[in-house]
Order: sequence, then C-alpha cells, then structure tokens
Amino acid sequence: MQLNPPTRSSSLRSKLSTAVCILLASAAPAVTPAVARADPPATQLDASLLIYGEHTRAKVVEPTVRVSRLFADGQTVSAQIGIDVITGATPSGGLPSGVSTTGPPGGDGVVSVTAASGGGGTGPSPADLPVTRFNDTRVALDADWQKPLGVLTPVVSGHFSRERDYQSIGGSGKLSLEMLHKLTTVTGGAGFNDDNVFPSGGTRAPLSDSTIIVGHDWNPKHVRGGLVGVSQILSRRWMIAVNGSRSLETGYLTEPYKVVSQMDPGSGLVVGQITERRPARRERSDILTSSVYHFLRDVLYLSHRYYWDDWGVRSNTFDLKYRHELQDSVYVQPHLRYYAQSPADFFRFGLVQGDPLPAFVSSDERLGPLRTATVGAMLGFTLPGTPGEWSVRAEYIRQFGKGHPDYVTGVQRDFNLFPPVNIGSLVVAYSLAF
Amino acid sequence: MRRMRRVALTLLLVGMTGGCATVQPWDRDLLAEKKMRFVPHPAVQAIDEHIYFSKEGSTGGQEVGGGGCGCN
Repeated sequence: MQLNPPTRSSSLRSKLSTAVCILLASAAPAVTPAVARADPPATQLDASLLIYGEHTRAKVVEPTVRVSRLFADGQTVSAQIGIDVITGATPSGGLPSGVSTTGPPGGDGVVSVTAASGGGGTGPSPADLPVTRFNDTRVALDADWQKPLGVLTPVVSGHFSRERDYQSIGGSGKLSLEMLHKLTTVTGGAGFNDDNVFPSGGTRAPLSDSTIIVGHDWNPKHVRGGLVGVSQILSRRWMIAVNGSRSLETGYLTEPYKVVSQMDPGSGLVVGQITERRPARRERSDILTSSVYHFLRDVLYLSHRYYWDDWGVRSNTFDLKYRHELQDSVYVQPHLRYYAQSPADFFRFGLVQGDPLPAFVSSDERLGPLRTATVGAMLGFTLPGTPGEWSVRAEYIRQFGKGHPDYVTGVQRDFNLFPPVNIGSLVVAYSLAF
Repeated sequence: MRRMRRVALTLLLVGMTGGCATVQPWDRDLLAEKKMRFVPHPAVQAIDEHIYFSKEGSTGGQEVGGGGCGCN
C-alpha cells in the first residue's frame, strides 16, 4: 500500500501554492501612496508656515495651504496656494570697498556704494560685502491630478507664480509603472516652465555700468526637463530608489541686479562695477539615490544627490533624517544635510581694472565655491482631543566658502570675500483628514 | 562624474537584483506606513527645495518641472 503522496502531486501543490502567492502579491496594495489610498478620507487639508531669517540679510514669511480631494476610485485632485513675503538685503555682488569715510579700515565706518537696483547699497564697514535692500511678495498656485489605472499611475501638475519682476507658468506629467509583484516601480516624466523676467527699471545692458537700459520688455526664460526613476523594495523594512533628471534652460538666465566689481590692480580698491552676464543656455543633470529603512519602530532616511551642469557647477548633497518614535503619534526627527559645490567657470569675486572683459562673468555667491551645512529637528505630535497632526521643525543653516582667491589684488587679499551666512528657519505644519 | 554614475548604476543593479527576493504581501505592513515613503512630508520637502533652490547653484532630484522662482 502506497501511503506517500506521489511526486507529481507534490509538484502540482507547489505550483498551485506559487500561483496563489503570485495572485495575492499582484492584488497586494502598492507600497507607495497607493497603499495609503485604501479606504481614504474624502478631503485632506495641509497647512504650513515658514519663518526664515538670514542674519543681517533676507527675511521670509511663507504661509501655504493645500487641499486634496480623494475619490473612491483612487483619483486625487489637489490645489495649493503659497505666499512669500520677502524683505531684507542681499549681496549686490560687489567687493568690499576697502575704504571708509567715517573711520579707519576695519572699523565701523559706513560706506555707500551704488547698487544695480538703483536703490543704493551699504556696507557697514570697509571689509563687508555691499548689500542691496529689497522687498517682494510672491504668490504661487499649484494644482495636480493623479489616478491609478491598474499598475499605472499618471500624475499631471500645473504651476503659476508671480512676483514683482518674475512670472512663471509651468506644467509636468509623470507616469509610474508597478512591476514584479509591485516590488519595483519605474517612473518617467517630463515638465516645462515658460518664465519671464522683467527687472524693475528695465533690463540693464550686460557688462555695462548699470545705467544703460536695453529695454523694458519681458525677457523669456524656458525650462524643459525629464526624469526617470526606479524604486525597489529590498526587504520587509528597506526600500531604495534611484532618480536621474536632466533639464535645459534657455533665454534670460542672468541675475538682473547683480554687479561685479572692478578693482585697482595695485591697491585693490574698488574703482568701478559692471553688470554681470551669464550664458543664455544651461544644461543641468543630477542623480539622486535614496534609502528608507524601518527599524523596530524608528525610520532612517538617507539620500545623496550628485549634480553637474555645463556651467561647470558640480555638487554633492548628503541628507540624513532619523525618525525616532517617542510614543504613539509623537516623534522627533533630527536632520543633517551637507552640500558642497564647485564654482561656475565664469565665477569671479571681482575683476581687475584694465584686464579684458570676459564674455561671461558673475560674482553671485550661489555660483561660487559654496558649502551649506544644515542641522535641525522636527517634532511631530497630535493634540489630545483634537483632530489632525502637527509638526514643528527648527533648523540652523550655515553657508560658507573659500573667500581668499589668488586673483584679487591689494587690500582685497586681506578680506574674506565669502563670509559665512547664518540662517534660521522654523516650519509649523498641520495636516487634517476629514 | 564617471565614478558617481558607476555608483548609481551599481545601486540600480543591486535594487533590481533585490527584486528577486520576494517580499510577500502579508509582509508589507511596515512598508505600507506613511512614514516609509521617500518623502513623508511633501509640504516640508517643498519648502526645503524652495530654500535651497534660492541659496545654492544646484537643483533637481525628486521632481520634474515644478515652480519657477525669480529668487535664483
């Protein structure tokens, strides 16, 4: 009497078991926002307030409200409005004057310089970088739509923003495809921005002394970009993703109010200044790798971005967040970020009088040998007896760079042309589903 | 740059290889939590991107297109 089941039956059972697993896996919710859309609430409200301040420079207050409507078929429609109120000062791009009208060099004398905006700028001492005072208000509207269609999820977004001297209209589309039992998600997308720059007082002639206005028309700036990405579930606790994006900017890419100082070849004192000029084309690329790992309760987020463009800027950005659960619905999330970039090919702190003018030049510190370090933490919590989730985040940002180039002359050699900038930011966010 | 591309490609291949190790649907409870998204706080992420876009020479990463700004 044969009591053992035949081999064929065992094989069949195995195949059936595998088939059931595959079916179950296919029916499983995706590990993306698609999971969260199971039994979704009808409406989601997200509100945030940013308070941002640079020591002795710009201050920003930015309230944002976003409303999302979730439908039973998984479709989501969102709309957002944000308002930036910006005041303060920004570096004009010029070098320290090196002289004082009210005190000795290095003292507390105040030196006035002419700024590109026409409003004038002041440097509190001969060694300080001149700044330009400004204020502006920016209103931004965003809307997006997405709907899961089986293993595909299309997302379409639109954007409009307006400020005193800049307008942006843009749109983008993305398509995600879930594969391999929803362990892998491949995403592709493209976007555009048709922006316009209309500087206050008209567009200044590049490489001129700021008094030559070439027109009062809008200067177009176009951005076209694409993105591909893959995210992968590696284990029950671990996901990684790799995104690559590329964009092409064309048109008016010059910063309209920035100037470049001209220094005396001997003394280094500032003897003049000209408006900057940048190429009318910029091709940017980057690769972003991300990882999310779930410990017993805590979560570790890591990412690295490598960026390069045809202006010569290369950068690395390292980002770390660690969400530590304190108790139910209460967590603290420390954040560290470090950013380092190489300067653009045409970046100069200043020019030496008498030297031939370069085709392109900018002394905008954002195109310089810049470093940024960020330290902060977020506290997430719910208030007893009230709906919704709160989060409060405070961060300290320090920007610094190499400020002693070998091509400056005279007194400029004594100055740090890239003094550190200390920045504080506070974000309060509230999220409510109803 | 070549090295970075190599690293990215390696990570990609590692990721794709990892796909061979199936995580069963009933084992995806942790992965389904909101905090396991690559961007668990999109509003805060958008604020950060705006700050760093206006203060640094680089941009890009998570999104394509997006809001233009005269701040840089």
